[in-house]
Amino acid sequence: MLATGVVGAVEDPWIRWSWVSGHVDVITAALVQHIELTLIAVVIGLLIAVPLGLVAWRSRVFRGPIFSLTGILYTVPSLALFSALVPFTGFTILTAEIGLVSYTLLILIRNIVVGLNSVPDEVREAARGMGYRPLAELVRIDIPLAVPAIVAGLRIATVTTIGLVTVTALIGEGGLGSLIYDGLLRDFKTPLVVGTVLSVALAFVADLSLAGAQRLITPWSRTRATT
Amino acid sequence: MYLKRILVLGASMVALALVTTSCGSTGGPSSSASPKGTVTVASFNFSESIILAHIYGGALKNKGYTVNYRDKLGNREIVEPALENGQIDLYPGYAATDLNFVDKRQGVDLEAGTDAATNVQKLNARLSSKGIKALDASPAVDQNAFAVSKAAADQNHLVKLSDVSAVASGWTLGGPPECPQRPFCQQGLESVYGLHFKAFKALDAGGPLTYAAFKSGAINIGLVFSSDGGISANNLVVLEDDKHLQQADNIVPLIRTAVANSEVSALLNSIDAKLNTPDLTAMNKSADIDKQDPADLAATWLKNHGF
Amino acid sequence: MNFANQVLQWFLNGAHWQGDGGIPHRTLEHLAMSGASVLVAALIALPIGIGIGHFGRGGILAINISNIGRAVPSFAVLVIAVELFGIGARPAFIALVALAIPPMVTNSYIGMREVDADVREAARGMGMRDRAVLWRVELPIALPLIMAGIRTSAVNVVATATLAALVAWGGLGRFIVDGFGLQDYPMMFAGAIMVAILSLIVEFSMAGVQRLTTPAGLRPSKPVQKEEPLGTARDTAMVAA
Repeated sequence: MLATGVVGAVEDPWIRWSWVSGHVDVITAALVQHIELTLIAVVIGLLIAVPLGLVAWRSRVFRGPIFSLTGILYTVPSLALFSALVPFTGFTILTAEIGLVSYTLLILIRNIVVGLNSVPDEVREAARGMGYRPLAELVRIDIPLAVPAIVAGLRIATVTTIGLVTVTALIGEGGLGSLIYDGLLRDFKTPLVVGTVLSVALAFVADLSLAGAQRLITPWSRTRATT
Repeated sequence: MYLKRILVLGASMVALALVTTSCGSTGGPSSSASPKGTVTVASFNFSESIILAHIYGGALKNKGYTVNYRDKLGNREIVEPALENGQIDLYPGYAATDLNFVDKRQGVDLEAGTDAATNVQKLNARLSSKGIKALDASPAVDQNAFAVSKAAADQNHLVKLSDVSAVASGWTLGGPPECPQRPFCQQGLESVYGLHFKAFKALDAGGPLTYAAFKSGAINIGLVFSSDGGISANNLVVLEDDKHLQQADNIVPLIRTAVANSEVSALLNSIDAKLNTPDLTAMNKSADIDKQDPADLAATWLKNHGF
Repeated sequence: MNFANQVLQWFLNGAHWQGDGGIPHRTLEHLAMSGASVLVAALIALPIGIGIGHFGRGGILAINISNIGRAVPSFAVLVIAVELFGIGARPAFIALVALAIPPMVTNSYIGMREVDADVREAARGMGMRDRAVLWRVELPIALPLIMAGIRTSAVNVVATATLAALVAWGGLGRFIVDGFGLQDYPMMFAGAIMVAILSLIVEFSMAGVQRLTTPAGLRPSKPVQKEEPLGTARDTAMVAA
């Protein structure tokens, strides 16, 4: 069924394959930009979240403020956050990334804390008994055992970020969001559909890759039921 | 042992990030900047502007310059300041609207008039201290126009904008969010025509949202552009600007003086001389109605005109 | 500090509090749209999630629908809705309902599955029929997670309603989008602040409602130490769009 779309009675099919084949370069560039923006956000998010997560795990004093602040950042809608940053950091990748990284923090920190908490006490006592110093225990026992939870958080953070990158089209970035935005500006369904489908596909690929990666690095968790 | 696996994984993620960043960031050969230099061309977020930007940019590229595009950067409130602070080098402007915009920004009286050359002269007077130059105006014109549905025009006997005064108080005006503050938009309708509408609906600049609003009856009169492809396709009629609210909005390239060497200026001026309104209107229609690529349309125009 | 002053002046300007474009009207518009879409979504999603959880079939779909929902960008859903339904309140409403459904389906399904099999057995052993087991045993126990799902959806919806201003709807997002178009940074920032505050209010009120509707016997006596991490089967995550 051909929708008549927004502008009058003009035929605009949901996918115009000729446009797709003629715009492979544009589509690829958008996809690559999308992946870049996502990777930067998630990697930086992780780099910030790990130390903050360790602090929140160990210190009751800091746990509350860390969760409150990242929770607030998480709840603020993306368009609001990007617009609030623009007067200060302009229409730049920096603005996009500050926003995107902020959204990853709560999920990552929370899962790091919960993951570390889930290390059974007996295991830690055994490690102590075997002579592990605190740092060694952390690096060789606690963190590896927390990996399933951390990766679970990483998966959510990544999928969420992939969705949010589309909104950055409004501040001049966008990745696949620029295709969606083009669809809106010109009442043109094809880039809209292509941008959406690729965005969802990217999210799935990322999610499955991370799940697979997790299984590779934590073979002991394969027998436990995880989603 | 597992730590090693995590480190390997982390390293590969970072490596992946680095590879994609270097591989495809701007999509262009950023490593091989031409000796002639780089020009960053921006466009407003409607098709005509993108077409013009790619006409200018394409011609420059054919002459050996490296051209970066910032398409659909935004409206004038975003694009003109970007030119002033050097984030972009060039954009296709409109003589009267840009002049009034710059006047307002500098806090002086609005000076745009009905002669394009005079508008350009005044633009240069205002912008030279900012390191910006307005080149030659083109005969091609695209100015604000106000349209109503054909049905409304017939029903209320509307031919000229002045005719609207009979119905304005019950009508809703549609336009881009900045319309209430623009002298060629709602402000002008009020001061020159004495039209005070019941309501204003923020949509886009003569784009799909505006056409949709006409269709759904959300607005009675809306801002369109005189060279728009969608006007007749959507059963709209443009009302005559009998009191000459709109001034000479000829296409004119606004460019940073630092980039405007004699070759660049001559090239852009010769393009301007060859642009005309019918061609522009036809290209707009191809982009917005037939969904062709603005960049492709620009390339075709360049080829047809020997650039 | 000049910018902060400009934002303050914007709030103090009486004109910004009046009329259809004023703060009270936009706020009510935003809340009404959010409330209506969450309500309608709940009427669709809860029976599905609870039903699947009760009968124990189709669980894989129920769990994964949340992941699928999270993978679809809300911006795209809005634009697609506009392509299908034109501009205005209708596509905004439909898009918001669509976005609100997945978390509620998943969370209510998981809530129902988490009811201890022994408890169900005991209830049946006491002679309760299927419907009684559902209403008097399963639902009260599943209620916290059901409420968590509603809460997640509510916050999502309030956030995405902000984006709907891009497709000519109203709400508080209007200040952000118009401020953007006018490059009126104080307006834009003021809009951002208002949206943020509204989201937080909704988040905290829903948390309160969630706590109130948790049967006393299920409330943890002290903060839960060993919670499940986000992203595993028992996902009580909040996702802001």
